[in-house]
Amino acid sequence: MDDTAIATTGLTKRFGKVTAVDALDLSVRPGQIVGYLGPNGAGKTTTIRMLLGFISPTSGGCRVLGSDPARDTRPRRGIGYLPGDLRVDPGMTATQLFAWFARLRGGVDRRGIDELTQRLDLDPSRRFGTLSKGNRQKVGIVQALCHDPEVLILDEPTSGLDPLVQREFGAILSERAARGAAVLMSSHVLPEVERIASHVAIIRSGRLVAVSDTDTLLDRSLCRLELRFGGDVSAEALSGIDGVVTVDVRGPHATVTVDGPVGPLMREASGLHVPLLRVRSATDDLEDLFLSIYDKESVEGRQP
Amino acid sequence: MIAVFGHAVTRRRLSFLMWSIGMVLMVGLLAVAFPAFNDNSELDSTIAKLPPSVLRLLGLAPGAAFTSPAGYLESNLFANVLPVMLLVFAVGFAAWTIAGDEAAGTLELLLANPVSRWKVGIGRFAAVTVTLAGLSGVCAATLAALAVPAGLDDGLPIGHMMAATTSAGAMAFVFAAIAFAVGAGTGSRPAALAVASAIAVAGFVIEGLAEQVEPLRQVRRFSPWHWMFHADPIHHGLTLGSWLPAVATAVVLAAAGTIAFVRRDLR
Repeated sequence: MDDTAIATTGLTKRFGKVTAVDALDLSVRPGQIVGYLGPNGAGKTTTIRMLLGFISPTSGGCRVLGSDPARDTRPRRGIGYLPGDLRVDPGMTATQLFAWFARLRGGVDRRGIDELTQRLDLDPSRRFGTLSKGNRQKVGIVQALCHDPEVLILDEPTSGLDPLVQREFGAILSERAARGAAVLMSSHVLPEVERIASHVAIIRSGRLVAVSDTDTLLDRSLCRLELRFGGDVSAEALSGIDGVVTVDVRGPHATVTVDGPVGPLMREASGLHVPLLRVRSATDDLEDLFLSIYDKESVEGRQP
Repeated sequence: MIAVFGHAVTRRRLSFLMWSIGMVLMVGLLAVAFPAFNDNSELDSTIAKLPPSVLRLLGLAPGAAFTSPAGYLESNLFANVLPVMLLVFAVGFAAWTIAGDEAAGTLELLLANPVSRWKVGIGRFAAVTVTLAGLSGVCAATLAALAVPAGLDDGLPIGHMMAATTSAGAMAFVFAAIAFAVGAGTGSRPAALAVASAIAVAGFVIEGLAEQVEPLRQVRRFSPWHWMFHADPIHHGLTLGSWLPAVATAVVLAAAGTIAFVRRDLR
């Protein structure tokens, strides 16, 4: 028995003719925070719903804490789940929801709930229907984390949270991972995954296109920089530099994509006839990331 | 399972309270109005001229007096109003238990907990059963309290009123089980409501028409309405036939619905 908390092998789900998830092999080990990254409709939520046994795979299978989630409900005691579209009976207060789930889970430490509501600044006495989107999300986070689960399956966990709370949430996840929890969190925004996750799995049209640790992935991907100079520059001055893939110049503004280290570009750009005033990293576009991975893979694939 | 059951009952408690108040008022008014009808032979002879299918739908066996306690209660309560009230309450609740909760998106969060779909299905159907029995009990208790002051006990044992209430509750139980099974099997609340209501209305109409349309007599043998009318609990008391076929059918349907729920994908 290996120590994998979440493991899928050839996991496939078809809805009619549409293949939502296609032969997915993914694993999450204790202590890892895996960002499950992909555009909307890529199959992230379908994967997660299979991991919780809400839907059954068409073929292949998955194991969570060593058992098949569709057949065995016991491991769910060790799972914390946050749905992408959180729905709670609007007349229920968070306190009532936590108490009910505590009964279903065979008891939950009250201190765990209190600590989380305090850290996330949530008033649990209000009815769910009266809460803002961000506060509803906090209710979802607390119910997912309060029983200190070994596995966390979180579908777009930070949606609706303001940046301060996002940061606190990231800190909580890191603490949990440090204590040995396995975390799978889906997202369609790169910076969020970049900040929180130790590993990234990228899915597109139901297929896993890349799995690696976050830093490697970011190193591997093209870096897009926005440079502003003290005067107009020419594209030619930048395009010949080592590692530069594309250059787009508009007056004093240049957008440059770089493959590999950005050192040569920085050196050359600082030595131009006009001063380099600002550099902004714009590598937050998921599409760019996909394209760079895709381009590389298709290029590698075409080579004999 | 108790946590699931408790949550479902709690969710429905306000609705249950409203239905109970309505039930007490309705049964109370009927009982209070009875002395005005008591032994009005003129009314009896008028009603006796109605066609048999209408009499059947009024709940009057041929030759039974409308103004006797049994005829009065049967035609104003047990043959129509009470079964319909219990049915509407129970079908609405049963359609929520799985399908309604699923459509609202709240079922998924529950099922992420260490609770099997078996327990959710059984616990929630138990909640329907208990609240339906409770609402029937409210009707029975109101009748028992008012029977003597209103003179409804004249030639009619109170036990027969209880039996007729039980029989109506058992019939509503079948339709609740249909709504539950369709909802649990398909995840569609509209389908659950539509199928249960359609069968209930069809059963009621067939029961009346069958008096005059011979082929329908074969069909109505499968109708819970017919089981209830045929057992005639207001005259014969609590026989096995007045509740057992209905309860057995409901349990089988609920079990089938739960099995389908356990096997299918959530929506």
